[in-house]
Formats: sequence, C-alpha cells, structure tokens
Amino acid sequence: MPEPMPETPPTGVIHDLGYRPYDGPRQTGRHIALALFVSGFRNAFGLGRSNKSKVLPFLLLVINLLPAVIIVGAMTLFNLNELPLAYARYASATQILLSIFVAAQAPVLFSRDLRHGSIALYLARPLSSAAYAAARWASLLAATLVFLLVPVIALYVGAVLAELDFGEQTRDAAKAVVLAGLLALMLTGVGGLIASISLRRGFAIVSTIVVLLLGNGVVTAVQGIARDQGELRVGEVAGLFSPYSLLRGATTAWTDEEFVLPRGSGAMSATYFVVMVLVAIVLFALLLLRYRRIAGR
Amino acid sequence: MTLNATILRLSAQALLGRRRGLVLALIPAVVVALAIVVRALTESGTGYEIVNAVGFTLALPLVALLAASAVLGPEVDDGSIVYLIAKPVPRRVVALSKYAVAWLATMALGAVPLFLAGLILQADAPSKALAWAVGGAVAGTTYAALFLALAALTRHAVVAGLLFVLLWEGLLGGLLSGIKWLAIGAWGREIASAVSSAVDDPGTGLTYAVLASLVVTAFSLWFAGDRLRSFTLRGDE
Repeated sequence: MPEPMPETPPTGVIHDLGYRPYDGPRQTGRHIALALFVSGFRNAFGLGRSNKSKVLPFLLLVINLLPAVIIVGAMTLFNLNELPLAYARYASATQILLSIFVAAQAPVLFSRDLRHGSIALYLARPLSSAAYAAARWASLLAATLVFLLVPVIALYVGAVLAELDFGEQTRDAAKAVVLAGLLALMLTGVGGLIASISLRRGFAIVSTIVVLLLGNGVVTAVQGIARDQGELRVGEVAGLFSPYSLLRGATTAWTDEEFVLPRGSGAMSATYFVVMVLVAIVLFALLLLRYRRIAGR
Repeated sequence: MTLNATILRLSAQALLGRRRGLVLALIPAVVVALAIVVRALTESGTGYEIVNAVGFTLALPLVALLAASAVLGPEVDDGSIVYLIAKPVPRRVVALSKYAVAWLATMALGAVPLFLAGLILQADAPSKALAWAVGGAVAGTTYAALFLALAALTRHAVVAGLLFVLLWEGLLGGLLSGIKWLAIGAWGREIASAVSSAVDDPGTGLTYAVLASLVVTAFSLWFAGDRLRSFTLRGDE
C-alpha cells in the first residue's frame, strides 16, 4: 500500500502517466471488497459471464429445487398434514448436488485469478490479500447459502400456504436455516481452500468431491458398522470427521430427525456444533494464510 | 494400431506428476485403510459392504474420472493439446495412448484395492474379493473410456462425469431400479456376481452386462479419437 503524501492530492494508485487526473470521489478498500463480493456472487451463478457458464449452476439449482416442488405438490395433492421430508433433512438428501455445486463453482472464484495471474492486478489496488480472500470466501458462502436455502424457502412457503401449523413450521424451518448456515460455512472453507491450492479446475473439483463425499461415505460406513456392533460411541466420534456427518449429528441433536445413529448424549450433541464452527474458522484462517503467501511472492 | 511411447510417457507424467499422483493414490489408500481399521476392530467378514459402498461405488469411479480427465483435461483446458495433435501421429493413437495410461491407473488404483480390501475384511473368502476386483476391472475399463470421451468432448467433463456417477447411477439409480440398464456400476456388479454368488446381482443378465460394457468402451474410445480428429479451439469462459 502506498504511503499517503501529506500535501499533494491523492493520485492514481499504480502509475501517474500525466493524463487528465480523476477528480471524482475516491472510495476505500471496503468498497472494493464489497464490489468484489457482489461480482463474485454473480459469477458463482454464471451471471456476468458467458451463457455457457450459466448452464451448470442453474441446472444444479433447478435439480436441487425439484424435490421441494414435488414434495409440496404431493403434500397438497394427497392432503398430507405434514411435510413428507423435513426441512432439516433436505440438505442431507441433496448433498450430492450441493457438493457438486460447491466443488464446481469454487474454482470459478478462487482458481481463475491465480491461474491467469490476474490476482496481481487485484492486489495492486489498495486491497489487502486478506480482504480479497474474505470477499471471495463471502461470495462462495452467499452462493452456497442461496443453493441451500431456496428449497427450504419453497418448502416453507408451500407448508404455510397449505395451512400447516404456522408456529411449528416456522420453528422447524428456522432450525434448518441455522444448520444450513453452519454447513455452508464448512463447505465454503473446503471448496475455497482446495480451489486456491489446486489450480487445475478438474483436479480441484474431484479433490473437493473426495473430501466431501468419499469422506462422508467412509464415516457413514463406520457409523453403520458401529451401530450394528452396538458401539454407538465409536460411531458418534467418527461423525466428527466429515462435514455431512457433522451436519447429521447436529441435526439429530437439535431436531426430531434421526439418521444412522440414534440421539446421543448431550455433551456429544454440543460437540458437533462446536466442531462445525471450529472447522469453519480453521478453514477460513488457512485460506487467509494461503493468500498471504501468494501476496508475499 | 500401436501406442505412442512418447504420449504414454507424457500422459503418465501428467497423471502422477507433482501432487496429482498423491491425491490419486490417496483414494485407494483411504479404502484399504478403512478395511484394515474395520478388520482390526471387528470379526472377519463384518462390514464387508464397504467394499461395495465405499470402494466400488465411490472410489473406483472417482479414480477413473481423475485419471481420465488428468491425461486429457488440462491440455484441452489450456489449449496446449494443439501442439500434440499437430504432430504426425494419428489422432486415434493419441486417444488410445492416453486411454492406456488412464486404464492402467484405474486398474492399479481402483480395481486392485477392491481385491485388497475384500481380502483384508474376509481372508477366507478370496473368491468374493476376486469377484469385486473383476467387476471393478470391467467397470473401471468402461468408466475410464467414457470419461476420456467426455474429456475430449467438453470442458465440463469432470462435472458431467460426476453427475453421471453420483446423480444418475448413485441417487437416481437407488430410486429407479430401471437405471441398472444404463449404469456402468450395475454392469460391473452383474459381472462380479457371475464370478462369485456372494455378490448380489442387479439383474441385467451377464450377457447384457458384458456386451453393454464392451459397446460403451469401444464407442467411447472411437468417439474420443474422432473428437480429437476434428478438434476446435475454444477460449476460456
């Protein structure tokens, strides 16, 4: 960042080649970060990019919304007095789509600037590497949240319009929103960190899928075996090692839903929430570190 | 038709060079490590379903996808494939040579670990482990060919491959049983059940499974060569 000169008016940040100077209002680094966040959020859905880049995110978004529409349709058609699929189960039921969305769109936000070297241009502005990383991270987080919450909102609107119990629906939906937020924090961290380290798009996508889905497959297998062996504690501890199993553990602890394992002790339930937050914080810190190293080159 | 030694060497480097090889080796390592841990803590034969659920359904297609897209994907992505196909080597030889490398990697890191994991989990049933390995070898052969064709066709080959494996074969295949007629994994399972009756057969019939695998593999390889023959350059999106 350049030293501010006391007497002279602010000049161009990179070079002053003697052209007519810009004398309009100058905004701060915060505005740059905000603009970067907004453009990143749009780019995650292919907005502001080529038509081809819009196909994948919107295709995934539509497929992800489809079950919600079908559920609301089935509910009204058959006069059910509850949702066939609870709000809090939706993210687990569609985790494949969610993982592919995060894995495929994280490289759009993180890898491209690094691979094409345009990161140098961003950091030439009065924008710290941490602010750049945080803006990109926030873009992916917002996009992931949209992906997670649109079906929940569709279910909620359908349930309320079908005149199910309003208080109960609102409470369940609100819990699902909080859980979705925690999940999104973890997924954003995983996707963002891998995409900023592995610049080959396909490689980053598969690596993210391996961490998210193969990790989940391993944990689910261990939990199933632990349940069959009567060793519930082993299964509960295994659940700490994958984002989706953490989500399942926290959902079981907080709502009426159960997955592979029955509801465990209170201490274990709290641990799931704490680990979710810790994972999100550690991944975000690693991302900031990664960009500090890149900026230091 | 012969393979080209230089392309084989370059593809192997693209596959195993730097960190790529590590992640590729990590996938089977996770499967085998899981088998060792489960076997160490439980009786022989407990938890055998992880060979299917984790090894065959997840790890094998992921290895094939990573291998097939690593030998062709980056070159198509950054356009440097033109330097390769400008050489006086038939495009079909280019595709076949790249396939040979991806296939070897899929066999070594996708099918063999199934055998190892099965043997670790239940040492007294080698025929069951062999069945999964044979089924995995056939499915891996077909997966690798299909993903190579996808990599030659589109920039979004990895996502398309993931959607095919996870959404079509995994999620929808679990809901709609008719998908077994159009799922590479189900054909592999059918062949595995022919080797050992301990493996559940999806019910497509052995002849159909073998023929379908052969047809998809052959067509995909021809298609990959054909795509390279009429390759058009595109800019980054």
